[in-house]
Amino acid sequence: MSEIKLENVSYVYSEDTPYEKRALTDVTATIKSGAITGIIGHTGSGKSTLVQMLNGLTRPMSGRVLLDGKDIWEDPKKISDVRFRVGLVMQYPEYQLFDETIRADIAFGPKNMGLDKEEIERRVLEAADFAGVDREWLDKSPFDLSGGQKRRAAIAGIIAMRPEILVLDEPAAGLDPAGRKNIMEGLCAYRDKTGSSVVIVSHSMEDMAQYCDDIIVISDGRVIAQGKKEEVFSQSDLLRSVGLDIPQITLVMRLLADNGINVNTGVYTVEDAVNEIYKLI
Amino acid sequence: MENEVFIKAENLSYAYEEDDGTPQKAVLRGVSLEIKKGEYVAILGHNGSGKSTFAKLLNMILVPDSGRLWVAGHELTSETFDEKELLEVRRKIGMVFQNPDNQLVATVVEEDVAFGPENIGVPSKEIRERVDKALETVGMTEYARHSPDRLSGGQKQRVAIAGIIAMMPECMVLDEATAMLDPVGRREVMDTVDRLRAEKGITVLNITHHMNEAVRADRVIVINDGKIYMDGTPDQVFARAKELEAVGLEVPQCTALIDALREKGVRIEGKSTTPEACADLLTRFLKKS
Repeated sequence: MSEIKLENVSYVYSEDTPYEKRALTDVTATIKSGAITGIIGHTGSGKSTLVQMLNGLTRPMSGRVLLDGKDIWEDPKKISDVRFRVGLVMQYPEYQLFDETIRADIAFGPKNMGLDKEEIERRVLEAADFAGVDREWLDKSPFDLSGGQKRRAAIAGIIAMRPEILVLDEPAAGLDPAGRKNIMEGLCAYRDKTGSSVVIVSHSMEDMAQYCDDIIVISDGRVIAQGKKEEVFSQSDLLRSVGLDIPQITLVMRLLADNGINVNTGVYTVEDAVNEIYKLI
Repeated sequence: MENEVFIKAENLSYAYEEDDGTPQKAVLRGVSLEIKKGEYVAILGHNGSGKSTFAKLLNMILVPDSGRLWVAGHELTSETFDEKELLEVRRKIGMVFQNPDNQLVATVVEEDVAFGPENIGVPSKEIRERVDKALETVGMTEYARHSPDRLSGGQKQRVAIAGIIAMMPECMVLDEATAMLDPVGRREVMDTVDRLRAEKGITVLNITHHMNEAVRADRVIVINDGKIYMDGTPDQVFARAKELEAVGLEVPQCTALIDALREKGVRIEGKSTTPEACADLLTRFLKKS
């Protein structure tokens, strides 16, 4: 499917004013095809600016964004094509629902793509399933749904465009554990069934460690680590120095190793930890 | 003083209304509980369980449909409860909400912290003292003259907390106050809460989705479907993993690890809700076997 490369991308807010803020500095990163990539970083590190680069919502001041090797800004008039291929779900997307019914809201993207009625309906149902939107809600008004339900409907609206790369900025923030799990598993299913790439920004190290293949770490607008999650989460001192952490379960394994127990500390899920410790008994 | 009741609820119910005034399904359905002065209580529940609604009843942002409620010796549901008492109750309960950007009002940190005490007519010399002390407690003294918009999320929440401390409340309610923060921001806020409790013995209610925060409280109350579903120490509540999962919650990863080992027939004794406790427990067990 598709791969995105950022090459020496920089961005400055309010340039040449007293409020100038360097959001991204010389960022080079790869979002691999078919992978689930997590982006982690402290608040204000530039994560949101970075994801807005991926679908051309924000244009780099210098550097290039390459979608399958092609600069997305080569012809700025064609940037809307990029937005159909790279779907971006922003933070708290539930505030962006606007149509009379959930069905109409999810159908908005596919309609704009010029798809026929049947295909739109097919896409709506498919997206609803991936995002955990109950089919019974489809004819309801967004006002009649809870916050968590609206969040899923908003995610479905982007999935309905069947993006080759699905980008989500904190999709599970503020949700209860069951709601988080439901959304994260839906995103994995979307990747597994369509082969699309998924990019997730999150503050939950536990979720990132469980669901992602690759991790990009950014701090003060710079990429300070990227690679397989195993490589990234093995650098706990680096992560802590930039306001992040390692998953709780990984910390347990490290404490065990510190106590002289011979365990593999490269463990990121409860399931793997159970197996690892069971071997020692 | 030790065992003085600070919050008492008797059979509280509340339903939000439709635009035309007809009541929706009740979000609180007969909640009764007592919280003692100085207690640190975590309140858990899935989205829509009624936990935030409960918090909003405590300082009368919302008024219960039925039941009785006492806060700091005032009965909020009494016929004679008046505006003067309401102000007093609001002074005694400080609330910290989810979005740090919605809570700061001034353009300079120390002015923001002074906003509350100014509004309740504290003499200006005393305001100065209160602001300095509050900023010191949350570890933000060096940012006193900074603009809040340049702060990180965790720092903003600490300023919001300082604004509340400067009102000298008896109780602080955190309503998902760490939901938008990064791991270090979360830790900063939770450490600040610990410090407040140690220094001022303040009563704390932390409404949260983070199980790792809930284990730091003395007591955990789980609300489900508008009713109290569990009430106990973190150890007691997190020992009931299946029941928690049934209502959309989970146990901390450390607890899940020990539970899973037991399920595989490993005879390991003891409780574990934090990484340190979990590692100790496992170390002792592994070295013995």
